[in-house]
Amino acid sequence: MIALERDRTRTLLAIHGWAGVLLGLLLYVVIATGVVAVFADEIGDWASPIDPPAAAPFPAGLGLRIAELSRQIDPAYVDELNLYPRAGGRIEAFFHRHISVAGDAQPHAEGAVFELHPRTLEVLSRRDGIDDEVQAHDTSNALAAFLVDLHVSLHLPAPYGYLVTGVLGLAMMVAAVTGLLVHRHLLKELFTIRRFRDALLARRDRHVVAASWNLPFAFVLAFTGSYFSFAGSIGIPVMAMVAFGGDQTALIEAIVGTPPTENPAPAPMADLDGMLADAARRAGTAASFVSVSHYGRADAQVTVFTPPAAGELISHNLVYDGSSGAFVREKPGLGLVPSAGGALAAVMAPLHFGNFAGLLSKSVWFALGFASCYVTLTGLQLWTTRRAESPPWRAAARVVIGVGYGLPLALAATPIGYFAGRVAGVDRTEAPMLLALAAAAALTALLGTGRVPAERNASTLLRLTGAVLLSLPLLRWASGGPGWITASAHGLTTLMSMDAVLIAGAWLCWRAGRPRAAPTALATNGDAAAPLESAP
Amino acid sequence: MSAWSRGLLAGPVVFVTAATVMAGAALWLPAGPAQIDNLVLPIVLFPAIWAALFFYACLDRRLRRAWGLTLLLLLANAALIASRFVGTPAVRP
Repeated sequence: MIALERDRTRTLLAIHGWAGVLLGLLLYVVIATGVVAVFADEIGDWASPIDPPAAAPFPAGLGLRIAELSRQIDPAYVDELNLYPRAGGRIEAFFHRHISVAGDAQPHAEGAVFELHPRTLEVLSRRDGIDDEVQAHDTSNALAAFLVDLHVSLHLPAPYGYLVTGVLGLAMMVAAVTGLLVHRHLLKELFTIRRFRDALLARRDRHVVAASWNLPFAFVLAFTGSYFSFAGSIGIPVMAMVAFGGDQTALIEAIVGTPPTENPAPAPMADLDGMLADAARRAGTAASFVSVSHYGRADAQVTVFTPPAAGELISHNLVYDGSSGAFVREKPGLGLVPSAGGALAAVMAPLHFGNFAGLLSKSVWFALGFASCYVTLTGLQLWTTRRAESPPWRAAARVVIGVGYGLPLALAATPIGYFAGRVAGVDRTEAPMLLALAAAAALTALLGTGRVPAERNASTLLRLTGAVLLSLPLLRWASGGPGWITASAHGLTTLMSMDAVLIAGAWLCWRAGRPRAAPTALATNGDAAAPLESAP
Repeated sequence: MSAWSRGLLAGPVVFVTAATVMAGAALWLPAGPAQIDNLVLPIVLFPAIWAALFFYACLDRRLRRAWGLTLLLLLANAALIASRFVGTPAVRP
């Protein structure tokens, strides 16, 4: 039991409720899209599979292929090189140099991106330009990137999108902390769902139980999420201004670790495949990202990043001398030696993305994120239903239902735009995806403006979501993707699992969309009123 | 009036103060063995700085004291940052 004076409890309760009411719907959008974004890699593999799939993220022969490609591009771009796996296991090789763009304090990269087949290393596509442009034309990864951007910045321009999601993260943290403090009987409420005749009270109990169990996770997600949003939009620019006169590149170099002494003399690169094999042996797992600085120079440095090995939380960063191939050191993510700041920053990503133990941790993060959605939505419904005597709050309740149940429909509809755009040969699939999202939102709004009760609209939206989810495996196949027989024969397990999840999701939505009685009664008497004291 | 004053304090004033404390911390926090703690810790802990200031601003019964302490933090860190631009660099670039 947390003992607080009555007026303080009342203040915290007001903060809890208003933080949720003022920002709750946007917060719900960010959390729901974050739940989907947990499986961004799998969504990319599902939407744009390579058949048959790659055996390893970086196959043998990659070093030679990269050397060939370095001779095909503008020599000015042969300075920095990033290598990373993308949708379907495709390998992206981004040769680039750092540039400044007028009116933008953030450093940018300009160069050429090659998309390579993960087995044959054949060039699948090439895109030249500045980082944002080459990213926008990345068709194979576009669906996953669209959903991640929706979560990260709500598709608002930088830095405003990050500021909005950062503030939403702070609001979620406030709701989690105040939710903890206003519990008068926290341990008891963790295990209490009473059987009320009143549906509203039963809903309040379910909200409290889900929120209580979810409190630590909600706090962690909110804290790490607002850190990621504010680090780029406020933290780095402000720190660069105070400590480096506004030079963000200098700040990043200082934080990541001082680069070796400059030596621009040309020198052939050592065996990249050998370095990758050595890194996999040292880290106990294959590389997930490679960064080469000063490619083809005597001071070339190769940093191989691996995900955490089994039983570990933190990834490995192994540094090699690019011209000799010799192992130099294993460095922390930030700085050259271990530090409190580096250690704290290193745990932020695994705690937010839940990617430290593969599919298992991702599934747990998905489930907990789903519970956070439930808590946010039921909290908003409780708040508006309790005030349903007032017409503005009745209208707010309809909006809550519309966003709450319309958003899953809009997210489910997004891949329709992606597949349609790909079939039509559109270079940038963002527009058809936005169109599909907007069409679902318009349909939701149309349903909401009618005289049909909001609860019945919720059922309709859930059933529509089920129908759309069911159509996605078919659309994927119809737009040129492999069928189940081919997928099964070639071991495309991610694709088949995703199809199965979509079909299961369709069934669950259809079942959940069965019409039921609305919780309209307001608790006003005796014992029933007491539990609502701590409801939002 | 006091509700508006507290709202102003807990909202924009606390946010600006948290950002200023984060920036100022680059100058007064020890750099640590990797010489990065003064740059990284304030960025990572920004949500915690904001939350501490926000709850203090909401819950302190004496609103004037809350304003005073918050503004003191804001001005002290702002002065430190200003001295960075007019005086000797406090952080090794």
